Amino acid sequence: MTLDSLDTVVLSRWQFALTAIFHMLWPVLTTGMSIYLVVIEGLWLKTKNLTYYHHARFWSKLYILNFGIGVASGLPMAFQFGLNWAPFSESVGDFFGTVLGFEGTMAFMLEASFLGIMIFGWQRVPPVMHWISTICVAFGANLSTFWILAANSWLQTPAGGVFVEGKFRVQDYFQAIANPFMVKSFAHMFFATLETSLFVIGGISAWYLLQNRLPNFFTKSLKVVLVMALVIAPLQVFVGHLSAEQVYHYQPAKLAAMEALWETVPAGTPADWSVIAFPNEAAQANTLEVKIPGLLSYLLELKPKLDTPILGLKEWAPSDRPHLIGLIYYSFRLMVAIGLYLAALAIATIFVWWRTGLEGDRLRHYKWLWWGWIFAGPLGYLAVEAGWIVRCVGRQPWIVYGQLRTVEAASDLPPQVVLFSLSGLVALYTIFFFAALFFGSRIIQKGPNVALPVPGQANAQELEIRIKLAEHQPDRRPLETQQ
Amino acid sequence: MEPNPLAPLEHFLPQVWFFILGLFLFLYILLDGFDLGIGILSLTSSDERRRNILMTSLGNVWDANETWLVLMGGSLFGAFPLAYATILNALYLPAVIMVVGLILRAVSFEFRENANNKRVWNLAFGIGSFLAALGQGFAVGTVFEGIKVDAAGHFAGGMWDWLTWPSVLVALTLIQGYVLIGSAYLIYKTTGELQQTHYRTATIAAWTTFIGAVLITISAPIFHEHLRAQLFQPPLFYIFAAIPLLGILLIFLLLRSLQKREEVMPLVWTFLLFLMSFIGLGFVIFPNIIPPSVTIYEASASPSAQVFMLIFVAFLIPIMLAYNLYNYLVFRGKVVA
Repeated sequence: MTLDSLDTVVLSRWQFALTAIFHMLWPVLTTGMSIYLVVIEGLWLKTKNLTYYHHARFWSKLYILNFGIGVASGLPMAFQFGLNWAPFSESVGDFFGTVLGFEGTMAFMLEASFLGIMIFGWQRVPPVMHWISTICVAFGANLSTFWILAANSWLQTPAGGVFVEGKFRVQDYFQAIANPFMVKSFAHMFFATLETSLFVIGGISAWYLLQNRLPNFFTKSLKVVLVMALVIAPLQVFVGHLSAEQVYHYQPAKLAAMEALWETVPAGTPADWSVIAFPNEAAQANTLEVKIPGLLSYLLELKPKLDTPILGLKEWAPSDRPHLIGLIYYSFRLMVAIGLYLAALAIATIFVWWRTGLEGDRLRHYKWLWWGWIFAGPLGYLAVEAGWIVRCVGRQPWIVYGQLRTVEAASDLPPQVVLFSLSGLVALYTIFFFAALFFGSRIIQKGPNVALPVPGQANAQELEIRIKLAEHQPDRRPLETQQ
Repeated sequence: MEPNPLAPLEHFLPQVWFFILGLFLFLYILLDGFDLGIGILSLTSSDERRRNILMTSLGNVWDANETWLVLMGGSLFGAFPLAYATILNALYLPAVIMVVGLILRAVSFEFRENANNKRVWNLAFGIGSFLAALGQGFAVGTVFEGIKVDAAGHFAGGMWDWLTWPSVLVALTLIQGYVLIGSAYLIYKTTGELQQTHYRTATIAAWTTFIGAVLITISAPIFHEHLRAQLFQPPLFYIFAAIPLLGILLIFLLLRSLQKREEVMPLVWTFLLFLMSFIGLGFVIFPNIIPPSVTIYEASASPSAQVFMLIFVAFLIPIMLAYNLYNYLVFRGKVVA
């Protein structure tokens, strides 16, 4: 591709997609893990069992590593709407900008202010106050999930106003926020962050168990993960199903792309669910396809034969329907497969827990299970990314579904300029990705530091100083030198 | 058509939002200003112990400080969508420089903590802080100078319009200002030899900031026709006459407190100096939001949007300030090795 043939819209889309995909990797862990930290710190306060305290300290180290990259990679997201999507910003700013403003004022500031205390304040505030700070961080993080999902759901199912001359006029803010997609989409993402972080924590714990390193310590974290995952993982499969149903009702073209369905399936006939397909967009057909007869009608309507037809992609002109059908189709299947695997793994492990009590030598007989958990560690990320690809690539060619086209929403920038920022960000993100993997695995290799002082104990202050090289100290010098 | 119940507010609301955005931006420049200043100062440090103290003094606050910028961006998007779109469009490259700088600064914090060889991340931290300050300086300079727009208020200039001599001057001065407030913060947070070092850096930065400010004040009416017309009209004329005089007084008080080795007053005088410059900037820009021609009234979101956002944000401002203050209170006192 020569510089002249570069297209600003395509480059801006690439930039948004890549920065969003990269950004998502970090908050997906920290948002979910913050809830886990609230639980585990609460358990420490309740039981006074120091294992829980050291768990809180250990996982916090991974937390803050991820948090820093999350904050950093979130900045381009906050400015990109204006930088690359100025017509979009102007058109929907009344609503979309308001929601982003809310995210900042309600969620980010709460999270950021209490993060310092959560990470560095163990010796500076009473344990209960520290726990409240952790709760504030968790609440802020999940509140920001809520606002982002409210904003994105509005792009999928715009409500609460009308477009007048290309500008969105809000008539009812609450209706716009509580748009048709909002509740289920938020629930799906809320569980996704929690599930991803639970299986990361579980996977890392399993890695220690497999090596027989601190087995008693890490069966503790695994048990907490299991109790939570047993509820979350199956529930997520169900919420995911509800999300697909709402796509069926509100965005039929996206559903057709998710299923690589070219021909409409009329009412009164069974719809098959395809397992493997090779979509060919030029021929408007799948070159090869393996199907399970009748499954799709069961999935969507719980009936052998459809009441309402499922529209095929051919119902829309090529300019009015999503492209990259293969990407959407396989991303969707990958997400579903991971969701089912994680739920099955949680249930299988509960069964083993029931048989063995997860204690002593018998754990060693379950190597396959621990490998299953290690394998599950990165899967949550994959499912989340795949889900967002389905959601946003499947929404095309619209940026605001049915109202504003993506091509009309991009800033008129020289393509070279966008290429410059895009390549700069890609280069940085590549380095950060590998650096984060490297430092993350170093934290895991090192393991928990059980010598850390426990707040409220006599020699705590002294020990803490030895552990950190530089530390805030209350001012204890004589009064006359103070202002 | 039905009578619009918000009609009487149509003039008032954009002014309120102009003020709120100004407040967010001021808090950002003040608070992340000392973070970035300390980051730039860390480039001069050859001693790992000193750098440790510098970074520990920021560990608990940099994220909250940076959040004021995100908040400003989001609120500008909501309250003045046209300004958000046009200004960022015009400032594409400086914004990218700033964002890249802030990204480098943020990740360096976490990577350095875990690295054995800290040199790479030390450098990334310092350079990131510098780039962020540079990008912001160009942004402020360009907005001050004016942005070329068409009749609809959309950006009509070129990608390199921001790179002019006056904006270079503003960028350099802002960097000096950040170093000044960073030094003042370190005077407050450190002891001994380290503190002495920052008395020296503060004194140098106070002079360079002063020189920059004088050059900007003198050159602004010479370079910009629209400013000339505005500045020499009463009542603004009196304000613009008062601000340089107050500035000279504050610089004098600041230098004296540095001379007397006071610990808190340098921070206070620097704060007032920032506040005064910022109010001056506000007067130059108001009632425009995309100088020199698009006013806050033209760039406003609909009154209903501004009211809706105002209800929540106005209620949250004191709360946000309260928990920021709590954070500073918990970590009050000196940072020692």
